[in-house]
Amino acid sequence: MTTTVLPAAAAELGEGPRTARLAREAIASGLATTLLGALGLVLGVVAIFGPTRHLRIDWLLPLAGVRFDVDPLGGLFIAVTGAVAVAVGIYTVGYAQREHWARFPMVVLPLFVAGMLLVPAAGSVPTFLLAWELMAAASLVLVLSEHNRGAVRFAGVFYAVMTQLGFVMILLALVLLSAAAGGDAFTTIAAHADDMSAGTRTAVFVLTVLGFGSKAGLLPLHAWLPKAHPEAPSPVSALMSAAMVNMGIYGIIRIDLQILGPGPQWWGLTLMILGAVSAVFGVLQATVATDLKRLLAYSTTENMGLVTLALGTASLLSASGAPDVAAIAMTAALLHVLAHAAFKTLAFLAAGSVLAATGLRDLDKLGGLARRMPVTTVMFGIGALGASGLPMGAGFVSEWILFQSLIHSPPDGNTLLALAMPLSVGAVALTTGLGIASMVKAFGVGFLARPRSVAAEDARESPMSMLTGMGLAAAACAVFAFWPALVAPALRGVLDALPEVGGDTAGVQLATFLRLPGIDGSLSPALLAVALAAGVLLAFAASRWGARHRPAPVEVPLWACGAETLSPRMQYTATSFAEPLQRVFDNVLRPDTDVEVTHFAESQYLVEKVTFTTRLADPVEQRLYTPVVGAVIALAQTVRRAHNGSVHLYLLYGAIGLLVVLLVAQ
Amino acid sequence: MTWIGKIRRVGRIVEPAPAAPEPTVAPPTGVRGSLQLRHVDAGSCNGCELELAGAFSPVYDAEQYGARLIASPRHADGLIVTGVVTHNMHEPLLNTLAAVPEPRVVIAVGDCACNRGVFATAYGVVGSVADVIDVDVQVPGCPPTPDQIVTALRSVTGK
Repeated sequence: MTTTVLPAAAAELGEGPRTARLAREAIASGLATTLLGALGLVLGVVAIFGPTRHLRIDWLLPLAGVRFDVDPLGGLFIAVTGAVAVAVGIYTVGYAQREHWARFPMVVLPLFVAGMLLVPAAGSVPTFLLAWELMAAASLVLVLSEHNRGAVRFAGVFYAVMTQLGFVMILLALVLLSAAAGGDAFTTIAAHADDMSAGTRTAVFVLTVLGFGSKAGLLPLHAWLPKAHPEAPSPVSALMSAAMVNMGIYGIIRIDLQILGPGPQWWGLTLMILGAVSAVFGVLQATVATDLKRLLAYSTTENMGLVTLALGTASLLSASGAPDVAAIAMTAALLHVLAHAAFKTLAFLAAGSVLAATGLRDLDKLGGLARRMPVTTVMFGIGALGASGLPMGAGFVSEWILFQSLIHSPPDGNTLLALAMPLSVGAVALTTGLGIASMVKAFGVGFLARPRSVAAEDARESPMSMLTGMGLAAAACAVFAFWPALVAPALRGVLDALPEVGGDTAGVQLATFLRLPGIDGSLSPALLAVALAAGVLLAFAASRWGARHRPAPVEVPLWACGAETLSPRMQYTATSFAEPLQRVFDNVLRPDTDVEVTHFAESQYLVEKVTFTTRLADPVEQRLYTPVVGAVIALAQTVRRAHNGSVHLYLLYGAIGLLVVLLVAQ
Repeated sequence: MTWIGKIRRVGRIVEPAPAAPEPTVAPPTGVRGSLQLRHVDAGSCNGCELELAGAFSPVYDAEQYGARLIASPRHADGLIVTGVVTHNMHEPLLNTLAAVPEPRVVIAVGDCACNRGVFATAYGVVGSVADVIDVDVQVPGCPPTPDQIVTALRSVTGK
């Protein structure tokens, strides 16, 4: 898209060898990613069911050595990352060729996957930090692959600062932990977790929630996500949105729920509030977003919010003495991580197909893709259905389980629970409802109706490899929608490793019928789908039967309110679709609307033209980030006075520094 | 007293309907219930619109004789056209007629719609409605009274 070579110029450069080289590189890069992903998937599944596996490589990292302990919890996240990478790798083969990727992102893509696979495998603090930084740096490089665009550079800088800030917090937290435990292995830390002082535990909790929360895209540190995800190439967006954000969730589960857990009640409550606010805010921004990939990025914030809400519920319930319901909330969280990975991979890959075919992300300029890119449209539809949390969608079962765990909190008169649970039900309900609106908008405006631009009109279907990658993700979506029992043994294995949040109780029985032992509630996604399909068939048959006596249909032009033909300008746009919601949530979204009326010079009663502009920025970013960035810049300006460019002065600084070190060392 | 009870006790309190007029056209086939009509203003001075509004008001209540005004020609059994056909509304009138499923009925309301009326020699005029499309019922008058309009509608609905 950015490096489109004009046909004449391409011929001069030698189209043949160039294309062949590009194809070779794309296949190599995609294949490496896929193989790494497949390896991760297999290792992860083995780890979930087998005993914890250890690997030590002492020479790799000075002083500390590298240490991997793959247990069921880590295995689950390795498997998810691997599965996402398999689909993305196959997709990249076609995408990289179509988008003329440079060699650099092709090399870094498998590295990024490797970094993400190593994070959950890490068994000690230095290894974890090393893998985390590999993941963060690789993703940053990938975000910057189209660095000749200004928006990409800005997003890259924003992402770099935020991810490094998050890293500093995680670093502090983990250093505090290992100092308090007297060892850097997670097993050592877990063994000494109960001996730590309350202050240490609280500090670690706050730091990890902030650090991991920023990676998971939770408020208020979510701002990098809607910037970096849209600007990154689409396979990278899919990896970041479906796999990398999970690492934040993994960190919270590992440190705050498993190693330090069960924490006091306010830990769970904090997570619930963070999750609920992120979910509602994320979905609100998604409903008003007109950029397809930005919409999906905000949807990631929403879904990670739901997962965090479920984690908080599990933590709070287990601290309040209701481990059986806590286990159900934990199942909801883990299942939603899996389902989100499936449908968000699919949605981002489909959005990438659209971007590659049209060069557009703006929903207001898309439309009419259903006829031009039928397979991509169906794929995005499956992803959108999953994201909207409706039956037959991938996200339905996990959200249903989350609802059940919130509704069935123990009736023991605990005021905190009595307040927190119904409020959370409201937040989740609002999130789900608005989520449907945002996905209807993305699908309806983006893919149906008539094309709103020449680029959308000229769209062509994607090559086979891209469709195959999407097909794999769609198959995963179907599993979570119709037969989540397939992943039941894996969830059971992970829950068994998490006794801190009720993992030793019965948990959720995922089979043909999904049952929740201890509380009333059952559901059968497969039978529900069969019933829905039967209902649709019945309605179709009835309408055909009712129409048997009607006269033959006549073809007439479309009704355009008396005008000659329907034009794309008469259609709903993404902006107009979201306008009522924007009006309702005016106080949260704070749209910057401007109406400018120009009159004719001759008479102020005659209007020459009316200009209407509306801008929607992220209000949290504007309110919170702008002052902080301003303060940092002011501070930097103050410090700059010491840097006046004189070498003599710098030598003096060096001498003073040395003196101070010598004095302190003594 | 519930509102359903009240409705039952009070019963119908409308004036008795005058005798039904002679049917002018057979109701479009397939119309078993009410006749659904889409109104098109082809270039009216809005006098006929006022009377049309009166005809469908509670006082004259054309709906009790099975005639309704609706928004979409796709749902309509016919058109009510008011005013002389102007150049600007010529094309939209044809498009609207094409959007009404057949069989359909066209009712021209007012002198302008029937025979150009006072705009006969005006520069922006294509012609009367009958010059442009087939008209089934004509309601003369400048403007016609609501009674005349209701009578014309009853002659189509047969009620």
